[in-house]
Amino acid sequence: MPELMHKKLERSATGFMLAIIAAASVGGIVEIAPLFTIDDTVETVSDMRLYTPLELAGRDIYVREGCYACHSQMIRTLRDEVERYGPYSLAVESQYDHPMLWGSKRTGPDLARVGGKYSDFWHVAHLNNPRDVVPESNMPSYRWLGTTRLKLSDLPLALRAQRAVGVPYSDEMIENAAGDAYGQAMPDSEQSSGVTERYGEATQVSAFDAVMTNVTEMDALVAYLQVLGQLTRAAYENTAAPEQMPDPDN
Amino acid sequence: MALTHETLVEGSKMWGLFYLIGFSICVLIYTFLPSNRKRFERAEKEIFDEDDAPWK
Amino acid sequence: MVQLTTRERDLGAIILIALAVLGIAMAAAGRNDLLGIHGAMVLLYSLVLLFVLLSGAFGAPPSPGRLTRYYDDPIKIGVGLTLFWAIFGMFIGVWAAAQLAWPSLNFDTSWASFGRIRPAHTSGVIFGFGGNALITTSFHVVQRTSRARLADQLSPWVVLFGYNLFCLIAISGYFLGVTQSKEYAEAEWYADIWLVIVWVTYFILYVRTLARRKEPHIYVANWYYLAFIIVVAILHIVNNLAVPLSFAHAKSYTIWAGVQDSMVQWWYGHNAVAFFLTAGFLAMLYYYLPKRAERPIFSYRLSILSFWGITFFYMWAGSHHLHYTALPHWVQNLGMTFSVMLLVPSWASAGNALLTLNGAWHKVRDDATLRFIMMAAFFYGLSTFEGSFLAIRPVNSLSHYTDWTVGHVHAGALGWVAMITFGSLYTLVPAIWKRERMFSATLVEVHFWLALIGTLIYVFAMWNSGIIQGLMWRTYSPDDTLVYSFVDTLVAMYPYYIARTFGGLLFLIGAIVAAYNVWMTVRTPAAALSLDEDLPVIEHPGATPTPAE
Repeated sequence: MPELMHKKLERSATGFMLAIIAAASVGGIVEIAPLFTIDDTVETVSDMRLYTPLELAGRDIYVREGCYACHSQMIRTLRDEVERYGPYSLAVESQYDHPMLWGSKRTGPDLARVGGKYSDFWHVAHLNNPRDVVPESNMPSYRWLGTTRLKLSDLPLALRAQRAVGVPYSDEMIENAAGDAYGQAMPDSEQSSGVTERYGEATQVSAFDAVMTNVTEMDALVAYLQVLGQLTRAAYENTAAPEQMPDPDN
Repeated sequence: MALTHETLVEGSKMWGLFYLIGFSICVLIYTFLPSNRKRFERAEKEIFDEDDAPWK
Repeated sequence: MVQLTTRERDLGAIILIALAVLGIAMAAAGRNDLLGIHGAMVLLYSLVLLFVLLSGAFGAPPSPGRLTRYYDDPIKIGVGLTLFWAIFGMFIGVWAAAQLAWPSLNFDTSWASFGRIRPAHTSGVIFGFGGNALITTSFHVVQRTSRARLADQLSPWVVLFGYNLFCLIAISGYFLGVTQSKEYAEAEWYADIWLVIVWVTYFILYVRTLARRKEPHIYVANWYYLAFIIVVAILHIVNNLAVPLSFAHAKSYTIWAGVQDSMVQWWYGHNAVAFFLTAGFLAMLYYYLPKRAERPIFSYRLSILSFWGITFFYMWAGSHHLHYTALPHWVQNLGMTFSVMLLVPSWASAGNALLTLNGAWHKVRDDATLRFIMMAAFFYGLSTFEGSFLAIRPVNSLSHYTDWTVGHVHAGALGWVAMITFGSLYTLVPAIWKRERMFSATLVEVHFWLALIGTLIYVFAMWNSGIIQGLMWRTYSPDDTLVYSFVDTLVAMYPYYIARTFGGLLFLIGAIVAAYNVWMTVRTPAAALSLDEDLPVIEHPGATPTPAE
């Protein structure tokens, strides 16, 4: 008896509102709910490592400065993107990303695989004034990063919050978060060995901003940029070919 | 484990489609129900009535 | 003027004192964090409002006669707030656009760098300007179409000032570097929780007012407002679920990760377009268009069909933001399919609006206000067509990540959202302040042309730059290598970035003209209309046409 139901709907605002919810919620449920079982289909990657505290701090700076507004971190399955930026992005690569930073606009190039592409020195020079290294660039300069000390004391809390949302940081990692961040930016310090112990041999320990007196936000951001695309080799071992888009000139 | 990704995807797609069809039928019935005609005709014109004060 | 009873004043004072205490608590707990600054702002905000409230505390009690009138005071304040945020948001937008052409315009400061002012622009315009316009007009429309006064006198103020506190905290946060980076939902956890409280108050007020209606039927504009209120609440809560570092920290991490986060984010993001920037503004269209044109809507039934179509279809379309990404293929295809299907209810709405004007084109010619509304319907049709088109996978492979998307958004935001808002405001302001017409019809005309030309320059510049850059990215030489470096494609963008800044500037000037015109309309005494204070004031634009003269 749909007509009867609808008359009631019409009369009572409550029923009408329920109808709105019924109409509006279904699309989201259908598309989002199955994604939580996606782990069934994505092969587990054994070499996937976590962000170190310094890299996580760099990621938070990337978020704070709104870098995602101009840089994507999602190489699409298109031939020209693969040739320009590297193997296309896999779901597993952002499984620990809270939030994801896939982005929606490329005023600057994609950064999903920028890690290791340039030297630390280049990144520092570029962030201090992009036009020193790329004269045509319209990116803002981020000079203050090199003079702002990184707030190390918040890092254990940050890792704990990350664990609360599902990133498998151990108690040991949380405990040593501040020291690990310090050690990663201070290659000769006694804390630096702990970082590779906890996060793997591939972890890059470096005086990112070339200043050894303190850990700055520049250290953190460069450490983060250098790890982009380096958390796992899965994408490089993936053999499925990208899609070829029609070339407008042919 | 009965609830695999595939079954969930199939289920949600199928359920979504039936939902869409069912919902559309209900909306169409409501919109074109003859007994609603007067209501809608009134609604078209109601906003032109005097509206300088709330009705008693 | 505010007509609050003693009891309502007391209750308001209690709420504001509680808010002030909350501000002190935030300031104290977050003294080593940016949260502390926001605590101080909450404190200051509530103290200022408390002062305003108490300064009128000993005035004469409101007359019981007020209950036989509509409650329009919050609407008057809302108009002012809408125009303030319009100018603020558009100014930041022009500034951000200029920075892309001249990057030194951030003057080497952190707070003014592009990545920080961009969310301040989008939130300022969408939530500041758009949100206040929606709240303001919804208070007007729900009273008039229900023939009932707002259900009480305190909650409209809670909604209005509570909402603007959210805007203030959110946007000041972006300058400070407080953001969770989710596009169009950048505000951090405490602002999000506050918005939920405000939104529930809004919802309850709206439904209570509807429940008092004297008309048996709920007019369709209210359907759209209700869908806007309900669905935005759902979207907001789900997308913003997050775990803060602690209650003393502004920073939080979303509970969603990677692929799931991308889908939740664009399910939110696209439906913010649908239910914030479309449903609510369609409500304005369905009330102010017939009202201004003095013609009933072309087909009421069509408006019902398109309502359910939009409510149902939009929710599926978000995944078209994620074509060719790591999101599973079937979700991308589903998003594409529904995005294309969306064209049907969207064009039904646009067509319904334009056909309503059929036979009244002379009014469109003479009345710039009606022309604003007509142009809004036109741009609504244009940008929904473009939206469906861009959602098609191969098209999206070219357009995505380029300025084409930006152009599309601005065709909607400038051409549709802002124009329908200005058209509605120019209809609303004389009605609320009991004026025969706006202060200057010429200035409305000037505003119309500034807005239209500004929009066209902006949108054409972004279409060009987007398509050019998209094509350059994928251009291959005969020996099968990419021809252009990324920087080559950036260099090609500069002329368009300058053009778009100019287009945006014209639009901003138009908004300033509008604010001046509204201000002068309010200030000019209404001698002719309020002949007798004791009788309900006669204000029916239905009987006194207000063409531009």
